[in-house]
This record gives sequence, structure tokens and C-alpha cells, in this order.
Amino acid sequence: MADPAVELSGDVSWIAEAFPLPDGRFEHVSVYLVEAPAGSILIDSGSFYHRERLRRRITQATAGRGIGAMILSHSDYPHSGNVPDFRRLWGDFEIVASCADAAAQGLPYARRSRIGGSLDVLGRTFRFLDPPLADRSHTSWIYDEASRVMFAADGFGIYHAEGETGFTSRDYAAGISEEAIHDFHKDTIVWLRYVDPALLMDALRAMFDAHPVSWVAPIHGAPIAAEDLDDYLEKLERSVVAVSEGYTVH
Amino acid sequence: MSREIAQGIHWIQELGPARTEIGESLLRRGAPWFDRDRTVHVPQNAFLVVGNESLLFDTLSPLGSDQIIEELESILGDRPLDYLVVSHPDVPHAGNTARILRRYPEARLVAPREPATHELYHLEDSLRVGVGDYLDLGGPLIQFHEATFLDAALSVWMSEETTGTLFPVDWLGFPLLDGEGLSFMDEVVDPETPDDELVDRLYEFHARVMFWFQYADVEKMKAETDMVLMRLHPLIIAPSHGPVIRREPQRLIQLMKGVVERVHNTGRVGVL
Repeated sequence: MADPAVELSGDVSWIAEAFPLPDGRFEHVSVYLVEAPAGSILIDSGSFYHRERLRRRITQATAGRGIGAMILSHSDYPHSGNVPDFRRLWGDFEIVASCADAAAQGLPYARRSRIGGSLDVLGRTFRFLDPPLADRSHTSWIYDEASRVMFAADGFGIYHAEGETGFTSRDYAAGISEEAIHDFHKDTIVWLRYVDPALLMDALRAMFDAHPVSWVAPIHGAPIAAEDLDDYLEKLERSVVAVSEGYTVH
Repeated sequence: MSREIAQGIHWIQELGPARTEIGESLLRRGAPWFDRDRTVHVPQNAFLVVGNESLLFDTLSPLGSDQIIEELESILGDRPLDYLVVSHPDVPHAGNTARILRRYPEARLVAPREPATHELYHLEDSLRVGVGDYLDLGGPLIQFHEATFLDAALSVWMSEETTGTLFPVDWLGFPLLDGEGLSFMDEVVDPETPDDELVDRLYEFHARVMFWFQYADVEKMKAETDMVLMRLHPLIIAPSHGPVIRREPQRLIQLMKGVVERVHNTGRVGVL
């Protein structure tokens, strides 16, 4: 029996996987499942590093049906590396991808999502948002209107300790640690060393004002429940300031 | 087709499809270097450095899969490929890695040293390189550098020291028009072209790929640009998404300050 998915809302669940780092901590490389009227939608494909586990866990979570569509936040390998294998396994289901030139990204069959637009996927509406915290230019954050879950791709990640892979923000008594937020963003979104923190944080807060969330659902971190978001944002802001002020041009 | 840009450095270019969305954007904002009878392209470059040993920097995109193999075979003939360097594991830069390694199984895969997530990219068996590392190809001397202006964290820049050629990957990208493929910057634009027009072309690329300039501290970015110029002082610039720059490389680097300022003021114009 594979580990069960973690239910976030009634029809959105999290399949948490993690990659071990040299310092003993772990980085999430997860996927999410959304139950739509016409089938199950996988948000990102996960990494080929976890391919066999993901196959088992997705099969279990969908009661053997597998997935009917996949929405990619972007086409970086830890997010999209299982596309060919999963399409062979579960049929040539629809791929929704945000890149302008899908063929150059190795996804010639993908339907394009556009930042600022929305799409109906298997009978469910998703909005595609311009992500202030991202690395690749074609990344979009994916907002599920029905559940108000914001799938945040590379933003809002953390590093975590062994045994915490399935933790959501609600499982951290003192909230998600600022160190975990800081270290993840410093290492993975390198341009933060040049950032004007106020500009970035204003953009993030404006996004959440416009799109109220029930959960923020990162690929590389623990899902953040709405009631924990302010705490996370305060820690993120201090982290971003520390990254920016900690880097001097020399 | 390839072109030798300096002794032993071969430039292989995939021009890519016509980017109608970018063309429409250029028409809307009245970009002076574009008109509706032209097509605009975002090229993908790879560079093959040949001395006693050979090194390929990036692989072209999946659309250029046959092309890269044909070019390698044409340039190398019966010689082996010794190193395949992946600047960063984005599909358009690294998407033909497996095929090239099948064709040249003796080639050593080379990847950026940090962060240590190589197994997420099938780079676990690679030689890891970072700031200050060298590869002596027997003639050409390769040095690796921090990827200062980048998208993916797992990135590296490279230079060839005997010719002063810098390979800054996604930085200094420059959209091309039909007929401008595999042309040096001085063949694409007249040296008398005003700075504003050059900035406008650079802007069209960076306001997509380096969307994060909109959140940057502009003065810090300008200082870093000066530092890159002082530290690396390239004589030739060989970017991954634009023409090779062999004249006035310092001018183009200085113009990037205006690009940062403009993206900061306008926000992004789209995606790639």
C-alpha cells in the first residue's frame, strides 16, 4: 500500500515526495491531484527520480483510473520529467503548458495556457497567473477557482527535516521555520540577491488580494493553509530582505 | 550550417520558428527595427570548441536534434567529442543531451556544481564545475564562471581564455529577423545604430526571459554589470539566444543597464 495523498480541500490532494540534500535536509518535489468533473488532473508531473513511487501513489489516489489531464506550471525536469512515461501509462491525456514554444520545450502536443488567461480542463476552470517568485520565464502559477488553491510552482518552498515530508503548515506548531524559507529561496531563486524586497512583496500581496486562497500549494514546500499565509509572508519578507542585504556587489 | 567565430570555436545555430506573438507585440509598440513583412525568431545557439580535445557547450532544443548531430559529425569528422557542457538543464539548452551521448558515448558530461540536485536532471554522473575551474583542451583553455544573470539556479557561464570569448548563456539574448541567422552582431545591425534601438531589441528578449528585472534594485544591477565587465572583460561575447558580438562587446554590456531600467519600469512583455 502506497502512502496516501494528503487531502487539502475536498477535491484537491497533495502527493508529497522529497529529494535528499547533502546537508541532511530534504526538498519537496511533489505533485497535486485535482478531481474535476471529467477526470483527475495532475498538477505537474513530478520528477523521474520519484517515477515509480508516483505511479503507484497516483494509481492508488485515483482508484486505478489514472489521470485524465496534466497542467504544467513550467517545463523544468522536476516538474515535467514524467510526461512521456505517464502518457504511455495512462493514454495520451491532455497536457496544458505555459511555454510560448511548446515544441522547443519537447511538448509539441501541449495546449498552451497564457499568463493572465484561464482554461477549462476536464470541466474545471483554472486561471494562469504571472508569478512574482519564479525562475523560468514561462512559469505560471495556477489558481483553481473552485477550491481557491494556488499552485505556486517554485515559489513558497522550504527545506524540511526527515519525517516532515507530509507536513502541511498546520503541522508546524510554531509555523514553518524562517530558516527553512530563507535557505530554500536563497539557493533556488538566485536573482533574489538583486531584488528590491518591497517591489516583490507588494506584487505577492496584490496577487493574494486579487485571488483569495484556501491553500498555497508549492511544488517544493509544504502546503500553506490560508490561516498560516500571513505568518509565511512575514517570514518570507524577512528572508528576502536578508538575501538581498546579504549580497553585496564586489 | 555552422560558423567559426574564432580559432577553433564553431557556432551552431537553430534559428527556431517564426514567433508571431512577439511580432505582434513589436508591431503594437512600434518597435523601430521590425515591420510586418518580416518574421522574428529567438535563436538557440550551441558552441563547439576544438583543440586537441573538443567540447560542446549546450545542445540546441529538441527541434534541433538532427541538426546538432549533423553539425557535430560535419565538424568533428572521425574525431571524438570529449566534453559536453550543459550550461543549465533547460530543455532548449540541454534537451539533446541523451542523444548526443548516445552518438558520442565517450564524451564526458559536464554540469554546474551547485545546487546539488543533479539527480533530478539526469546529471548525477557528470563532472561538476564552478567558479575558477578550468578545462585545458590542448590549445583552447576553458574557464567556468558564476552565471551572474540567470534563470535556473543550476547554471554556469564559461569562457575560452585564449580568444577572450565569453559564453553568458541567457544574458544578452537578441531576437533576430528572417535572414539574420548565423550573423555576427555587426552584420545584423550597423555599427552606427543608435543605442536606443539596440536597447529595444535587447529589451524584447530580457523583458520575457529575465522578467525578474522588474523586481530588481536597478542600481545594484548596474553595479553588477560593471563588475561583470571588469572581471571578465570579454573580447567576444557568444550568447545562447542572439548574434555573436565581436565588435564593441563593452558597449553591449553597458547597454544592459538601460535594459534593466526599462524592464523595471514596464514589467514583463511576455514569455518565451
